[in-house]
Amino acid sequence: MLSEKPLPMPVGEKTSEAQVALQSGATTLDPYKVKAHFPIFANNVLSKNLSYLDNAATSQKPNTVISAMNRALTQFNSPVHRGFYPLAEHSSDYYEQARERLRSFIGASSARSCVFTSGATESINHVAQGFLLPRLKPGQAVWVTRMEHHANFLPWQAVCEQAGAHLHIIELNEDGELALDKYPELFGDNTAMIALTHTSNVLGVVNNVEAICRQAQQNNIPVLLDAAQAMTSHKIDVSALACDFLVFSAHKMFGPNGIGLLYISDKRIAQMQPTKLGGGMVEFTGDSMAQTSFAEAPHCFEAGSPNLASAIGFAAACDFVCALEQDKIKQHIEALALTFHHALSNNPHLKHSIRVVSPIKHAASGIISFYHEVIHAHDLAQIMGDANVAVRAGHHCAQPLLRHLNVSSTLRISLSAYNTEADIQAAIRALERAHEIFS
Amino acid sequence: MSSDKALYKAQLLDHFKKPRNKVSGDLLHMDIIRRGSIPRCGDDIELGFAITNMRIERIEFRGRGCSVCIASASMMTEATKGQNIEDVNALTKHMKAWIAGEIEEIPSGLEALDAVRHHPVRKKCLMLSWEALADGLQEHMQNAEQSPHAK
Repeated sequence: MLSEKPLPMPVGEKTSEAQVALQSGATTLDPYKVKAHFPIFANNVLSKNLSYLDNAATSQKPNTVISAMNRALTQFNSPVHRGFYPLAEHSSDYYEQARERLRSFIGASSARSCVFTSGATESINHVAQGFLLPRLKPGQAVWVTRMEHHANFLPWQAVCEQAGAHLHIIELNEDGELALDKYPELFGDNTAMIALTHTSNVLGVVNNVEAICRQAQQNNIPVLLDAAQAMTSHKIDVSALACDFLVFSAHKMFGPNGIGLLYISDKRIAQMQPTKLGGGMVEFTGDSMAQTSFAEAPHCFEAGSPNLASAIGFAAACDFVCALEQDKIKQHIEALALTFHHALSNNPHLKHSIRVVSPIKHAASGIISFYHEVIHAHDLAQIMGDANVAVRAGHHCAQPLLRHLNVSSTLRISLSAYNTEADIQAAIRALERAHEIFS
Repeated sequence: MSSDKALYKAQLLDHFKKPRNKVSGDLLHMDIIRRGSIPRCGDDIELGFAITNMRIERIEFRGRGCSVCIASASMMTEATKGQNIEDVNALTKHMKAWIAGEIEEIPSGLEALDAVRHHPVRKKCLMLSWEALADGLQEHMQNAEQSPHAK
């Protein structure tokens, strides 16, 4: 029961305010208006004039998310689903409101399907250990792709080895896309699971997940989609997609670190076992496991004290993304990515030495990876960093993909709604500076 | 960034562009060969050295890496070639202490690497060849203890 004078709503109230401030009926995003919502760009010398092009690693946080979390901690912090006093009842209610916001954000039919986890990595591990392992038989096939992040590769590799099953990798064609036509057995009777990324964190390739989910569903093959890189620029509707599992992290979509979502389709909830045991997830704890019974979903998958402030920040991030509109974010980052592609290919010092591995066809993901034929990616990133341009260098937790590309590391630029043409020009100037230093 | 913190000093770049004692083929006729790699960034080198009369007679490396990794390996081979192994052992200890912040001064002749201490993520790149050298020396000393008549 809520008290007669409810505390301020932590979630949802800022949507209309943000819409007015950010959109004002415009057909395109104004990145400078968006940037004004992110206090980090005004806060200190390290970030004030920073061209932050490392958004695939983590996004910055808008005022609405920060203030929602601040209110959660300052106005109604108390145990979730554990207290009988009004403050605790409020916190429980708001936590479930946050879950409901996530449910509507992804188009799930029930909040039972929406499990808060620590992030996409934990979500995938949960499915691998709690869903697949108990049903996986020796000799069965589990399919992943060549472009997976380690988080969507290693958990499947591990359960395959535990069960004596085979991990198969869908390789890429010369366009950097999945060579699905080479694998007629993919949707065959022996396939126990398909796990793939929606958008590659290195190549920026967006996979045809609709077609894969449709075919898998026709053959009753469970599919997990790693949507960690997709949520700000794609409106994902799990009911329309008919995927079995969807995972993503809040921190890559303007939300806080340490929280993510695991969507489990209604059909698979009963087939999923809890992998984390502890407080809040049991109905009855007996003296033996045979006597112990678990709570209903989603609570049986959320052992331990719920992360209230982060859940509320996560919901506020959904509001922020919706206020910006995913289509407009996509349009904006695609335009910037194309500007970068063209600037590279027209630059007399860079066009012969830089090799772009991200297909231009997938520029709408806002992810562009490349390498220099002479200068190591860490040197490039360092010189760009010295010029206040933040990028990522390395293997991006995708070593199976980098082996395929036959490179040890790449440089990655990843764009967001607050990036501007000036950021792109700063990146190009920094690359020219690297060329001067090393020529 | 002030000049003393600037990473890409002329001497470092010179050693990266024209690395000394770097070979492209196999490391031949070496007493000790050690590999060092950082899978996270792709630095991967192999270091070999031959010892005569307690001195490092020859030292070479091969592999790939960033400018800090390659320049450091190149400068290290110059600093150790022809030196007594006891002195080289002391030098590797000095480098380890310097990179850990226990000693302020970098060994003489290696000042071009000094700015790396302001860039924590590059410390591993710098130390890759030095760690390989230290491990190799330890292996040599253990071998010498077991076979006191070895060279």
